[in-house]
Amino acid sequence: MALLQISEPGQSAAPHQRKHAAGIDLGTTNSLVAVNRSGVVDTLPDEQGRHLLPSVVWYGEDEILVGYDALEKQAEDPLNTISSVKRILGRGIEDIRSLSDVLPWRFDVSTDSSVPRIVTRRGKVTAVEVSAEILKALAKRAEDSLGEGLDGVVITVPAYFDDAQRQATRDAARLAGLNVYRLLNEPTAAAVAYGLDQKADGIIAIYDLGGGTFDISILHLNKGVFEVMATGGDSSLGGDDMDHAIAEWLVQEMGIEDMDPQLSRQIMIAARRAKEALTEADQAEVCIDYRGETACRSLTRERFNELIGDLVRKTLMACRRTLRDAKLDREAISDVILVGGSTRVPLVREQVGEFFGREPLCSLDPDRVVAIGAAQQADVLAGNKPDSEMLLLDVLPLSLAIETMGGLSEKIIPRNTPIPVARAQEFTTFKDGQTAMSIHVVQGERELVSDNRSLAHFELRGIPPMVAGAPRIRVTYQVDADGLLSVTAEELSSGVKSDITIKPSYGLTDSEIETMLRASMEHAKEDVDARMLAEQQVEARRVIEAVDSALAEDGRELLSEQEYDAIVAARDALEQKIDSATADELKAAIKQVEATSEEFVARRMNASVRKALAGKTVDQVDV
Amino acid sequence: MSLDLQQNYFELFGLPVSFEVDSAALHAAQQQLQSRFHPDRVAGGSDQEKRLAVQQAAWINEAYQTLADPVKRARYMLSLQGLDMNDEHETTGDTAFLMEQIELREEMEQCQSCQDPLRCCDHITGKLDQRSKEYAAEFQRLYAQGDHEAARQVIKKMQFIQRILEQIDEYQMQLEEDLL
Ligand SMILES: Nc1ncnc2c1ncn2[C@@H]1O[C@H](COP(=O)(O)OP(=O)(O)OP(=O)(O)O)[C@@H](O)[C@H]1O
Ligand SMILES: [Mg+2]
Repeated sequence: MALLQISEPGQSAAPHQRKHAAGIDLGTTNSLVAVNRSGVVDTLPDEQGRHLLPSVVWYGEDEILVGYDALEKQAEDPLNTISSVKRILGRGIEDIRSLSDVLPWRFDVSTDSSVPRIVTRRGKVTAVEVSAEILKALAKRAEDSLGEGLDGVVITVPAYFDDAQRQATRDAARLAGLNVYRLLNEPTAAAVAYGLDQKADGIIAIYDLGGGTFDISILHLNKGVFEVMATGGDSSLGGDDMDHAIAEWLVQEMGIEDMDPQLSRQIMIAARRAKEALTEADQAEVCIDYRGETACRSLTRERFNELIGDLVRKTLMACRRTLRDAKLDREAISDVILVGGSTRVPLVREQVGEFFGREPLCSLDPDRVVAIGAAQQADVLAGNKPDSEMLLLDVLPLSLAIETMGGLSEKIIPRNTPIPVARAQEFTTFKDGQTAMSIHVVQGERELVSDNRSLAHFELRGIPPMVAGAPRIRVTYQVDADGLLSVTAEELSSGVKSDITIKPSYGLTDSEIETMLRASMEHAKEDVDARMLAEQQVEARRVIEAVDSALAEDGRELLSEQEYDAIVAARDALEQKIDSATADELKAAIKQVEATSEEFVARRMNASVRKALAGKTVDQVDV
Repeated sequence: MSLDLQQNYFELFGLPVSFEVDSAALHAAQQQLQSRFHPDRVAGGSDQEKRLAVQQAAWINEAYQTLADPVKRARYMLSLQGLDMNDEHETTGDTAFLMEQIELREEMEQCQSCQDPLRCCDHITGKLDQRSKEYAAEFQRLYAQGDHEAARQVIKKMQFIQRILEQIDEYQMQLEEDLL
């Protein structure tokens, strides 16, 4: 559940009041925030007019710096300056090992938590905490500009992010105290910005090459509906790898053998500078301070193109696969949109253009387009645009599977299935009287479980004891609109719901997050409690509002008098508690209202589906 | 799932129960329903509303996926008649069909040594597409006659062909990548 940030606890916004919403592009290299100000959606600059916030956090003795200020510390204090943290968000210790030459920090691998910790002078921090610092800085920028607190945000993630990476992003938002309306895929956000800009219908391809991730998405645009047909990519491929290729070249050219973190940082910075210079120039100097002297080598565009040739080819390979998944030929694509700083590289433009056989569009600033699209959707989700037809229909980027005998993976929901989606599977027991079982869920396309990404072990308990093979345990896997998985289980013959404990493979547990939350707040317990209470109060008001309007609309029609009265009683009990009860008491009272009205809600949904299908509005039906 | 609609998937989209589906109409109906029931429509609502909306939208998606795919659609139509396919234990007993499948697989393997493997594959794909059409027509006829058992046998063949088509597709993709 998200923690709501509200300006005045206990006050819910009046229904017609505009909500304050923002779109956040949480990037590997750079992050941005955009809002709607008097009808114009745009990214927000800092006092110096810079829109980008480098995704860099510096942990100093008594302060934490984010952005350009942190970037300045990078060369002199590399171990306490964390950059490109998105590359390890939602990742495990083994992933860190394989990335260790790219990431210069010290990691603490001795913990029993599955989440790696970076050692800084202010203690050990996780990628989630580092990301939360970036989010806080962006939220502050938005709040300063709007002059008020944010009601909710849309945060973008690479389309190719798996469940663990998405969950980690949500956790970071929670730590930053943000209410997340939705996680939105970056290419979809870019499509929204372009689609609304050009009012174009058709099939478009979005090629997004940023600092650390590559995404390709194919979307069908039709009257405000953005339907993702297929998506693909690589969540650890980007401009950083180009820098790396240059760095390797330089190390070889100069015959460097005595590498240390400071030198390595320096080389990476020089490499990036040269790469960016080569976008305009045919040749660039790569210079570093080495053994007390300035050493330079010159790199031509031609040589650079060779160094990154494989990388670009890899992205085009993914484009082919994705087209195939969408069951489309290249000719079907009416527009190609370039997103991300690395699409400025001439070789990338050239090859993408050649592949799709058309000049790519880049009329909107590739740095800003994602945040702008996110802010546009945030505005719609906040309810500020009641007449908007806009709807974003996304897909699952990577197949979900479970481990079966022999370490094989069996697909439950294939990639590119539209979300939300739910699939059920039946299991039984092997032993007489067996009351528990475990399901290992993984994500990826490969045959072997060990080649895919482990998401979590779900331990089911409370299966009624029966002879082996008698229980029929239905396990339901559900993926919501954010692309996040949840699992429920029920024994069908007895109707007993199983109790499920989740052991995430690479995620923080709820209690770890709570501990971080407490640690991050000055007055630990009271503040956290106050926030929890405020959160429940807001939820309670939402529930009451929803119940009231539903009862008024068709309560008499769909409910018996007895049922009606029971709902009203539960609702009144909740209302009485709002200002006096604790967070836990309120939670229980909300649950009570929900339980009492569950059947009513279901009947209303059914009724409204029928009406929708009949193609009639409510009034027409009544006539 | 608390959403227990009385209607079947065809009714959900306002379509007649038939193997022949107007895919444009199906797609439009799907979007119209999602426009109303997608979780984004209750982004500011209560947790319960959000949970239900997710179930709702998942259900609409499932219905759409089922009707959009010929094999799934055929299976679903049979299930409407109370006949479920039990995949694990079922193979088709039609020897002529099996022989043809074996031949097709052999032909596919030979593609590797073809001069132009991609065209070779296209050739097989063409044959299979033709077969799919014939089976679809046969299914429709049998279903209309109420001969559900025979219709079920045809679905098995349709499934078989769909699987080979997928394999050829994957193989072709691999070939193309190797050629790059
Ligand atoms: N002029 C340029 N020429 C070449 N590369 C550039 C140029 N400008 C920026 N880049 C590269 O673009 C990358 C950053 O792009 P961007 O800001 O889109 O990434 P991001 O959003 O932070 O990352 P991601 O989307 O992968 O999480 C860096 O690798 C940077 O070096
Ligand atoms: Mg980006």
